[in-house]
Amino acid sequence: MRRRAATFGKYALLAVFLLFFLFPLYWLVLTSVKTQAEQFASPPVWWPRSFTTDYYAGLFQSTTGWLAFNSLLVAAGSTLVALAAGTLAAYALSRFRLPWRLNQRLGHWILSTRMFPPIVSIVPLFLIMRGLDLVDTRAALVAAYSVFNLPFVVWMMKGFFDELPRELEEAALVDGDSRFGAFRRIILPLVRPGLAATAIFCMIVAWNEFLFALILTQTEGALTLPVGIANQVTQYEIRWGAMSAAGVVAMTPMFVFALAVQRHLVRGLSFGAVKG
Amino acid sequence: MTIVYEEVSKRFGRATVVDRLNLSVEDGEMMVLLGPSGCGKTTSLRMLAGLETASGGSIYIAGRRVNDVPPRDRDVAMVFQNYALYPHMTVEQNIGYPLLVRRAERATIRGEVGRVARMLEIDPLLERRPRELSGGERQRVALARAVIRKPAAFLMDEPLSNLDARLRLQMRGELKRLQRELGITTVYVTHDQAEAMTLAHRVAVMRGGRLEAVGTPTELYRRPANRFIAGFLGSPPMNFVPGEIRDGRFAFEGGAIALPSGQTVAAGPVVAGFRPEAARLAAPDDGAFRGTVYVTEEMGAESFVFLECAGQLVTVRAEADFQAEIGDVLGVTVPSSALHFFDAASGRAVGR
Repeated sequence: MRRRAATFGKYALLAVFLLFFLFPLYWLVLTSVKTQAEQFASPPVWWPRSFTTDYYAGLFQSTTGWLAFNSLLVAAGSTLVALAAGTLAAYALSRFRLPWRLNQRLGHWILSTRMFPPIVSIVPLFLIMRGLDLVDTRAALVAAYSVFNLPFVVWMMKGFFDELPRELEEAALVDGDSRFGAFRRIILPLVRPGLAATAIFCMIVAWNEFLFALILTQTEGALTLPVGIANQVTQYEIRWGAMSAAGVVAMTPMFVFALAVQRHLVRGLSFGAVKG
Repeated sequence: MTIVYEEVSKRFGRATVVDRLNLSVEDGEMMVLLGPSGCGKTTSLRMLAGLETASGGSIYIAGRRVNDVPPRDRDVAMVFQNYALYPHMTVEQNIGYPLLVRRAERATIRGEVGRVARMLEIDPLLERRPRELSGGERQRVALARAVIRKPAAFLMDEPLSNLDARLRLQMRGELKRLQRELGITTVYVTHDQAEAMTLAHRVAVMRGGRLEAVGTPTELYRRPANRFIAGFLGSPPMNFVPGEIRDGRFAFEGGAIALPSGQTVAAGPVVAGFRPEAARLAAPDDGAFRGTVYVTEEMGAESFVFLECAGQLVTVRAEADFQAEIGDVLGVTVPSSALHFFDAASGRAVGR
């Protein structure tokens, strides 16, 4: 009897949490299909009487497609760069014994850059990009996001490498492989779940990033979705419908992506299962 | 191929883990590095594999100095304590890996994998992954991966210690046969004296980073160079009784034993050692000394009786059907020829 009450309590609590987190999603999707009259109705309309697809159709006439393309390119590009550089750095930190306790010191230094509020770096970053003639380019965003995600990648991947027994590479070395060959043939395949989990985080961060994109880009040649959506707040009106529709479009790929790789994500975050 | 350690040292910071090791292994020989944990035996093996760099001295494989040669060019194969099988590869891929990285033809790899898998009787497992194998099967896969090419030497780091007792005995026999059949020089690291005694052509006993003695198992067992080796080899271990040499006799708290003729031990304090299997139990008044039964252990084929003699615990082997109660008083006879004497201070063997 008591156990049943406890179970009920647990599910009730979960229901409250779910409601709390899902309601904004519900409202976003709802607003994207409501007519303008119902958007502003009071009391609010919980379930519209008529649905409209005008806002989605409107997206095709706007630059949203371009912005999505920019977002995708920037997110994928920066994830690749951060993953490539970060994984190598993490492997080195995990495996090579450096003098003067540099392993810990470098590690902490790398982590500390993550504590740095991004907004502090935005003005110098803008000046650097202007100096390099990269303002309003996708390359600027790729560079900025790569650097921003790098500490995270290093720390995540270092954790995964630390989990792998050293004997695996040592066996590979004695078996006749080179350092890099052992890394590629033995170590990389074993940290693949970790790589996947880290990549997802990087993708999501880059895809959603707003501040750098707002400052570093200006035109649709480089603007990303989050900034584009925010631009629906114009001088004269807030285009709730267009904004919601674009929001849904922006959210969907990450949602699908996360669902698709969920298995990897869970495995990546609960590592240790690879030990033979 | 031959292996030579010449004045090889390894230091980690201020700690000396291996101290000027000199050891040579003959072609085809199985050399067992034996010692308690932390004695430097594993480090010595890892230096041979190229997984640690020597801080001093030279290591030669087949006459070539290999100190600066990377592991992959040393032409050795290693079996690790935890087997270090590649978890994401099938058994077949694991065994074929040394050939794969040497760019062998795919057909050659297949053929060779099949050959060693049959030799080690793991051919039905080729499609499995390491996690689907039992401990003994993993052990065989690790061995197969080592023997697939004809290396200059096998290096084995406690390869049997992760197996349960019965399997360990079985694999010990198989390992010995495999080594003798292939005739490949092998350096084998263990802390288990039984493994050393049974597997080795010669045993190198290490302690505290130093080589204590090298010899065949029988030599080391019969004439241990010092008290440490005497106590380390043999199970149950040798009994030690402190006393002194006086008037051609070994005198101690419990009694005295006359030295055999020809035995020349200088008078003074010594520690006498004798093996449980060399001593005999007797009636209380017939022995060289007496003891009170502390506990008996029946092993089936034999029994071991632990006696308390003048504050010292002494083990004596008895017949399987030997019966005694705790607290019984018994006599112990030790043939004087079975006595080993060690210097009381240094522990070095003296006499004879």
